[in-house]
Amino acid sequence: MKKFILVSTLVLWTSLTFAAELKPHKVGSRDKCPVCGMFVAKYPDFAAQIQFRDGSTFHFDGAKDMFKYYLNLSRYAPGKKPGDIAAVFVTNYYDLTLVDGLPAYYVMGSDVYGPMGRELIPFTKESEARDFMKDHKGKSIIRFSDVTSAVLKSLD
Amino acid sequence: MVSVIEHHQHILDFTISSLLRRKGKNGALLLVYTLIVFILASLLFFTNALKREATLVLNEAPEIIVQRTLTGRYQTIPIAWGERIRKINGVMSVRPRLWGYQYDSVFQANYTLTVPAENPPESGSIDIGSGISRMRSAFPGDIIAFVGHDGLSRSFTIRNILDSESQLLTSDLILLSEDDYRDFAGIPLDQATDLTLRVRNPGEYITIAEKIVQMYPETRPILRSEIQRTYDAVFGWRSGLVMVIFSAAALAFFIFAWDKATGLSAEERREIGILKAVGWETSDIMMMKFWEGAVVSLTAFLAGTILAYIHVFFTSSALFAPVLKGWSTLYPAFRLTPFIDFAQVATLFFLIVVPYSVTTIIPSWRAATIDPDAVMR
Repeated sequence: MKKFILVSTLVLWTSLTFAAELKPHKVGSRDKCPVCGMFVAKYPDFAAQIQFRDGSTFHFDGAKDMFKYYLNLSRYAPGKKPGDIAAVFVTNYYDLTLVDGLPAYYVMGSDVYGPMGRELIPFTKESEARDFMKDHKGKSIIRFSDVTSAVLKSLD
Repeated sequence: MVSVIEHHQHILDFTISSLLRRKGKNGALLLVYTLIVFILASLLFFTNALKREATLVLNEAPEIIVQRTLTGRYQTIPIAWGERIRKINGVMSVRPRLWGYQYDSVFQANYTLTVPAENPPESGSIDIGSGISRMRSAFPGDIIAFVGHDGLSRSFTIRNILDSESQLLTSDLILLSEDDYRDFAGIPLDQATDLTLRVRNPGEYITIAEKIVQMYPETRPILRSEIQRTYDAVFGWRSGLVMVIFSAAALAFFIFAWDKATGLSAEERREIGILKAVGWETSDIMMMKFWEGAVVSLTAFLAGTILAYIHVFFTSSALFAPVLKGWSTLYPAFRLTPFIDFAQVATLFFLIVVPYSVTTIIPSWRAATIDPDAVMR
């Protein structure tokens, strides 16, 4: 499983070099999180999204649900492979803009809760992530490739 | 269908002419009723309009304002502090502001002087609010003088009269350039009135405020939510005061209306008896009583609401402004922006019209079911 994720992350990395100019899409008022079914537009401060090569976009109401989807594509998006993903966006905590999710830093175990409870809080800069961890009692900083089902389970 | 409408029309006709037969009594009822609706609606419109003005103020307000205090009193803040505050994570921008109040002893008015962030007037010219323009009869192109901090008078050319959605905000406002304001108020170059912060993430307000106080213990960060609470408390308290005064009047009215609506006078019972004797159905009599209540309460509701609207938005709430507006003595006359919340008007309607119309029905139903012979005897 771990190997699969590693490989898929690598595939994603290379695929993204071709798609670096992709822009995050705006969340529509009817867009639901495919994992938990909540309307995403109500909680823009934590929103995340995945864009596929075929142009389809999925919005999530937090980085945690985005990872659940990503790590279990066979369940949520049958027929799609990690290689079909064109871009992943997460909401940078401090300025609330959607940023590339792959190079981001994620803080675990902080006292900031998203609409789905405990969250992975994304940051573009490592220094910001460290400051945030200090301010909000975070436990650790992890990268995109470190996120596994076990990590997500610890957040639920 | 047509006959149903005609039926109602005839009953309504009869009701109105019967109301008109007892002009004095019904007129008095209508008058008191209208007065109550008027006071209630005035209160509703006034507090709502004030709250909306406050919301307009707050829309423009920055997320966090940082003030400096010295021995607990307000003090100007060094602009250089803003650079360290800017480095706190989550602070998108820091802007030093220059503003203050100025009392004009000749016109006995308080002005608010501000250096705007965008499009400030060039040195030597100013923009003034409509209140000042009205009071000093000053118009664009005129030269107007104000006395500065050192007692010397400075003259400015008026560039514009401010016209804004909220008069409360701009009525007493003077906009001028930074150089002019520093010279006018005597603020040194490295100081500002306060610092305003833009913060995107609402979850970070408290953390940022704590960090600022740690960095500069003599500062006082003010969050937008705190300003909101203060506004709410002030308006809430003031409208509460009027509510207390009003509730005594309302109670008196309710007793009066209850008595009028529920108890039928002997004369009315006789009238019902005669109507039954000449062949009216019980349902017709109840419909007549319903229409009677509806005509009285609806007329009072409409008249009271319209009068209240005129009172609040055209005469600036002349009747209870002294109670409601603490700062009315400081501000040159201002007019509230007309604004009506239909949900509240609907609430008023259901509180005033519906209970009255309904309470009139039950006693008349009781009277209408009695044998006409017994009633008339």
